[in-house]
Amino acid sequence: MKSGPLAYALLAAGLLVLASTPLWADNYVVRTAAIVAMYGALATSWNFIGGFTGYPSFSTAAFFGLGCYVGAICQRAGVPMMLAWLVATLMVGAFACLLGAIILRLRGHYFAIGSIAVVEVCRLVVSSWSSLTGGGDGLNLPLLTWAPEQVMRFFLFVMLGILVLSLIATALVDRARLGFGLRCIHQNEDAAAMVGINTTLYKVAAYTLSAVFCAAAGAAYASWTGYIDPTESFQILMTVKVPVMAMLGGAGTLAGPFLGAAAFVLLEEVFWANFLDWNRAILGVVIVLLVFFLPGGLLSLARKAKAKAGSGGPA
Amino acid sequence: MFERDSRRTSSPRRSGLLAAALLAALAGTAAAPALAQETIKIGAPLALTGGLADEGHKQDLVWKMWVEKVNAAGGLKVGDKTMKVELIEYDYQSEGQRASQLAEKLINDDKVQFLFAPFGSGHTKIVGGVGERYQVPTIACVASSESVFDQSLKHLFGTLSPNGGMTTAMVKMFKEKFPDTKTIAVLGRDDVFPKSMAEGIAKAAEAQGLTVAYKELYPVGTMDHAAALSSIKAAKPDWIYITGYTQDLILARKQMQDLGVTAPIVTMVTGPSYKEYTEGLGKLANGITSSSWWHHATNYTGQGVWPATADFYKDFQAKTNGADPDYVHGSCAAAGEVIADALARTGSLDKAKLRDAIAATDIQTFYGPIKFGPTGMNLPRELPIIQVQDETIKVLAPADIKNADLIAMPK
Repeated sequence: MKSGPLAYALLAAGLLVLASTPLWADNYVVRTAAIVAMYGALATSWNFIGGFTGYPSFSTAAFFGLGCYVGAICQRAGVPMMLAWLVATLMVGAFACLLGAIILRLRGHYFAIGSIAVVEVCRLVVSSWSSLTGGGDGLNLPLLTWAPEQVMRFFLFVMLGILVLSLIATALVDRARLGFGLRCIHQNEDAAAMVGINTTLYKVAAYTLSAVFCAAAGAAYASWTGYIDPTESFQILMTVKVPVMAMLGGAGTLAGPFLGAAAFVLLEEVFWANFLDWNRAILGVVIVLLVFFLPGGLLSLARKAKAKAGSGGPA
Repeated sequence: MFERDSRRTSSPRRSGLLAAALLAALAGTAAAPALAQETIKIGAPLALTGGLADEGHKQDLVWKMWVEKVNAAGGLKVGDKTMKVELIEYDYQSEGQRASQLAEKLINDDKVQFLFAPFGSGHTKIVGGVGERYQVPTIACVASSESVFDQSLKHLFGTLSPNGGMTTAMVKMFKEKFPDTKTIAVLGRDDVFPKSMAEGIAKAAEAQGLTVAYKELYPVGTMDHAAALSSIKAAKPDWIYITGYTQDLILARKQMQDLGVTAPIVTMVTGPSYKEYTEGLGKLANGITSSSWWHHATNYTGQGVWPATADFYKDFQAKTNGADPDYVHGSCAAAGEVIADALARTGSLDKAKLRDAIAATDIQTFYGPIKFGPTGMNLPRELPIIQVQDETIKVLAPADIKNADLIAMPK
């Protein structure tokens, strides 16, 4: 499904709002913006495998967590921060590529279960490998010694940078043969193989793409908080949240996952702030309603409105 | 559960315009107007829901008791003024990421001058890191692992003593009472505090001539200890030492019963330090030993709203319809006194001065002495060793508050 000009306009407006927060708001809002950007990048990454290809992947937290750990271990070994992020991205990308070749043989629910197991296995390995990862003690990273405002601004732009890169990758894939092939796989994998699409290769590419930006975000996040441990890094909750965000905005579209992530984080923020005891329940109900009445995501609203306007013309 | 009057949240008028919604909602979470500074504000990110909710509610309870008591007496002395205390709490849902986010919110939006760190060493590290960045003094009342305080966070202070103090004294005492104790089996939860206790006890036992017959860590979230317990059974140790939190240890104790695993001495940490443990196990808890940082049977006196342990105990019982406080309650209630004392000594709200004043804290409270070492952790002292006897907690050591002798595990 091609994204219309409205989607692009929304996307640009959203990015602009996020990027300008340091000018008009305090650090807490800037932080929220950075979190929106981070989840935006995660959801946009998930979109490659979940949206385009239609494989319900729940490995996001595994890639994010591995990114945290590879980045942290590199940084503790004296690798400069940015380089550590790059190493984390490449290593987790390679890991996803190898892993994808194995678990992408599973389809549908089996794949979903397999991908969720990846998160748990990674968590257990990281938490048992104490000599390297510190086990349950977690790892401390050097805290940046700049002023808090500077630190926040820096990480906002880092997260925005990762988000923009993931969006560019999405736009490129969307227009390339890869995107077309992935959509074919989504519709009918056997038929796609029959017309000459190398489905295994395409799926592995999508899976790897869904990993690299998560790893980058994870590595940056580790440097940001300055402390990571296995339970925080490999959260099942995150692995579920991210697909929900992508679907909320519109899976398989360019702008959808980011807009969904923004809407989700802000909804969470609003409900959490106003209903201390019931926030989770209310958020759950809102998500159920949205999925029920807007199965195509928020972006489909715009499309519907447009269709209405079109059909509302002279009959 | 917390008072916020100035929060505005706009709702999007036109459902299609997400950009507008984005702007509106971001603005909605924006800062409350900074009021003139008339109160001392203490911020507390708390785990009121999620896995650590029980512990979070304990902190919530005693901090509210403390604030109520302080304000009823007029407030805290700052120079020649007396200022009321306001406690601002948020629920971080037992998620580390949210804990740091809320610490940031408390500092930026609510302009708190102090932070109380949440339960557990891991989350204390996270919140302590935020406090450090903004140079806001952070008092941690439930983090005892030295690893938390070794990264030289200059604004983080802990009221618990290092947990190293719990192991050596325990080995010494048990060897004295039960000279036949030759071997120990250690099973620990792979998590900051339980892990350091498991490693600490193994080290202390070896140093005093015991043989460590078994030592393993189990991952967080383990639902079955049968394999580990069977290996322990085969090793026939004289002393079984298991660390973890209430749920883990209740499970471990029940499985020990099912599998017939026992030893003359069985220690579980934290185990009986929490009443949920003894309540959950009933008779099965009998004979289990443990260590704690504080027990209400101690009798310390000092400054603050509760001059003696008995005063705190009385207030606590009145508030909770007769429940007994545990070390979390004691340590957290005393955390406020650190702030009160620092404010009284500096007489100003200057961040740097307050930080230095807290570092120089040397006070006596109902919870015991509080004096921070170079890393910001309360200095070691003799910590109580406890045992469940007839379903109640007895104190075995130190000698001045002892009310029972060590008994062997009932067969």
